[in-house]
Amino acid sequence: MKILLKVFEAVRPSFEGGKLRLFKPVFEALEHALFAPSTTTVTAPHIRDPLDMKRFMSMVVISLVPCVLAAFYFFGLRMAAMILVSYAAGGAVEVVFAIVRKEDIYEGFLVTGLLFPLILPPLLPLWMVALGVAFGVFIGKELFGGTGRNVFNPALVGRCFLSLAYPKMMAASYLEPSGALAGRLLTYIDASNIDAISSATPLALANKGDFSSLPHLFLGSVSGSAGETSAIAIILGGVFLLLTRVANWRTVVSILGSFVLLGGILHYTSPQDVGPVLWHLCAGGLLFGAFFMATDPVTSPTSNAGKWLYGILIGAVTVLIRNFTGYVEGVTFAILLGNIVAPILDEIIVGVRIRRLRSEG
Amino acid sequence: MLQGRPERAVKVMPEPEVLNLPLRSRRFVFSDVSVEDGQRVSSGDILAKDPNNYAVPLLAPRAGLVRLKKDENAAPAAVDASRGGGHIIIDDVANLEEHADIAKEELEHIEREMGAGGIKRYKLLVLGAWQFFYDAYTGALPDPQGTPQAIIVSTVSLEPFVARGDAQLHKRLFNFTRGLEQLQSLLEYQPMYLVMPDIKSELANRIRDHIRGYAWAKMLEIPLTYPYDDFAILARRLGLRRDKGPVWAVRTEGVLAIDRALTLTKPCTVRIISIGGTGVNSPAHIKVMPGYPIDKIRDTYVSEPAARMIDGGILTGEALGQEPVGIDTECRGITVLGELQDREFLGFARPGWDRSCYAACYLSSLRKRFRERFTTGMRGEGRPCISCNFCEEVCPAGIMPHLIHKYLYRDLIEEAEQARIDLCVECGLCSFVCPSKLDLRQEFIDAKKLIEQEKEEIRQEQERQEKLRQEEAAKRSAEEKSE
Repeated sequence: MKILLKVFEAVRPSFEGGKLRLFKPVFEALEHALFAPSTTTVTAPHIRDPLDMKRFMSMVVISLVPCVLAAFYFFGLRMAAMILVSYAAGGAVEVVFAIVRKEDIYEGFLVTGLLFPLILPPLLPLWMVALGVAFGVFIGKELFGGTGRNVFNPALVGRCFLSLAYPKMMAASYLEPSGALAGRLLTYIDASNIDAISSATPLALANKGDFSSLPHLFLGSVSGSAGETSAIAIILGGVFLLLTRVANWRTVVSILGSFVLLGGILHYTSPQDVGPVLWHLCAGGLLFGAFFMATDPVTSPTSNAGKWLYGILIGAVTVLIRNFTGYVEGVTFAILLGNIVAPILDEIIVGVRIRRLRSEG
Repeated sequence: MLQGRPERAVKVMPEPEVLNLPLRSRRFVFSDVSVEDGQRVSSGDILAKDPNNYAVPLLAPRAGLVRLKKDENAAPAAVDASRGGGHIIIDDVANLEEHADIAKEELEHIEREMGAGGIKRYKLLVLGAWQFFYDAYTGALPDPQGTPQAIIVSTVSLEPFVARGDAQLHKRLFNFTRGLEQLQSLLEYQPMYLVMPDIKSELANRIRDHIRGYAWAKMLEIPLTYPYDDFAILARRLGLRRDKGPVWAVRTEGVLAIDRALTLTKPCTVRIISIGGTGVNSPAHIKVMPGYPIDKIRDTYVSEPAARMIDGGILTGEALGQEPVGIDTECRGITVLGELQDREFLGFARPGWDRSCYAACYLSSLRKRFRERFTTGMRGEGRPCISCNFCEEVCPAGIMPHLIHKYLYRDLIEEAEQARIDLCVECGLCSFVCPSKLDLRQEFIDAKKLIEQEKEEIRQEQERQEKLRQEEAAKRSAEEKSE
């Protein structure tokens, strides 16, 4: 390790003020990825919590591992290509902006780059993956001022863009998972080497009155976006994320709670229009959205009370979009809507809290 | 749980040969020096006073020969009266009989002027016990002649590594209860609150028995979690209102000092401080006097070659300079913290059995409590705020640090004021937990200072205009008269 550190020290001058000073963010990102920074505290408190942004973001990546493995199992090695393309394209945008702004490269992208391919249909052409993630990072994040200032979840902005710009391609890129025991762990399936390209998602089928079986939904052996199909993998990773307190449990509980409540009421009042609640809970992107997308601390409200309201809104809107609009899947739009409302919710809660604080001490 | 917690036993340090008294401490600047170079002083003599803090004195802890030393590093302009840099050095230190430096006739004069209560307060001031008093809201020195709405006596100090109440109370319980009685005699009807970790413990019962009939103190139980011992938070918990007058606050050492000054009429110059932290081989409480050379303490206790010496606790203390000379009059403990030496390889990806984390992001959260070894390392890069809300969850004052940070980032001072930045007690917990490594505590301290300055300027401006108006009115009335 000492040799590596020496190499870094040797090339440092050329990045700091030397010929390559333009690429200083890249150098620093690389250096700090391998070695903890040498900065020390200046003023009190003299000690700091070991949690830093790298660890914070890697917890999300770790919690996504079950979903990624499930995606590999059901949809084949093409997932690797999608993840690589997503990281490369989005990372390029991020690096360019870091260089232009003369800032560090922030770790938030590690999460966006992995989340994005997981919410796409598994047979989507790779150029669309690249375009979508670049759009999401550029429009959804960098234009707002970068990490910490974005209003919308960049991955969802990318997906929203793709489904509005290429609706046919998106709908045609779903794939029926393999029934074999080994899944598709060793196969690379592309649009070119499979015959039955289009395979409707459970929600699309349910619209025609054909409900897939619940155990299949739970395990994930159904058609759908790459990482969203397996409820058990999502719950596994999601609960881990909640336990580490990187994601806030209030958001998740309120989304799922309001979804179950409203969905349940509607199901019992008109069973022919609205499917059973448990089935809807496991179908589509609801769980994935609730655990991984809506809990993004930047785009959700900051205050805890705001998080409850935000979750309730998302859950309710999801039920309404799924059952009473032309779209069969509503989570993307519901969360984006929640993102719009989040600053307003925060404003209201902050106003209340400040009014209460006014009478203090 | 941190490595290096001081033991309860109090150790006595060997008598020093030279005392090096700094003319500054956290709250005080002793700019009014009343001794001359080469003068011989005996212990208890007043060496200097702080004119801005009710003339609180700097006492000579031991007899000896005075040598004045100006701060060499500071510019000459900075050593003037307002800054008061430099030190008073006492050579040939001898531990002679202490005596109270109060002239008889002066006492009589004061008694005539202010009565018996006044004389007690005067004694507290000149014998060095008054400096243990704090205003609960501002932390400043309260007015010795003022009347508080209540007194808070705290036996707990929870910040890691500062001198703890249990160590100071050990074997001094009688002095403590006698001090409480003396404190009660300063009051008329105002309540006295005694803060204890467990009000049903044997110690609490014994204190209750001791003071029965002499003093009345309401006991308040607080959890042993930092920073519940902060005076501003205690005052808020007790439902005391800021606009109803000042609240005085004293810690254990203060009550012991009151006992010494009022019962024995002796100067309070010896303090019990702690020496702890990760860089200390046998953390303990030690009995020293202001001016005690820090080198000597370092030679005895510090084991690490590269370590940062901190005056105070680990969360709010101030780093001592490169060449610390002597303990100042307000020191409550010295914390030694190892400097960051190696850069960890792939630090963020480690399982982390050895580091405890607020957010349970390391495997150590599966472990029971353990002693963690801290260094001065920042342990991460500075990043923008991601609104993770951790700072709000830990904030003992109930304000929203992330919100205030965003206001201050955009220079919205007024909004920050409305978000009650003034309730911040500077405990440092928000900076500690921040995963973006923002220096929130320092930011808030600077902002509060700025707000104070602005308010002061506005007040002065108003005063000036008021004066002008009065002058004008006087002129007009004079003109009218002459007409």
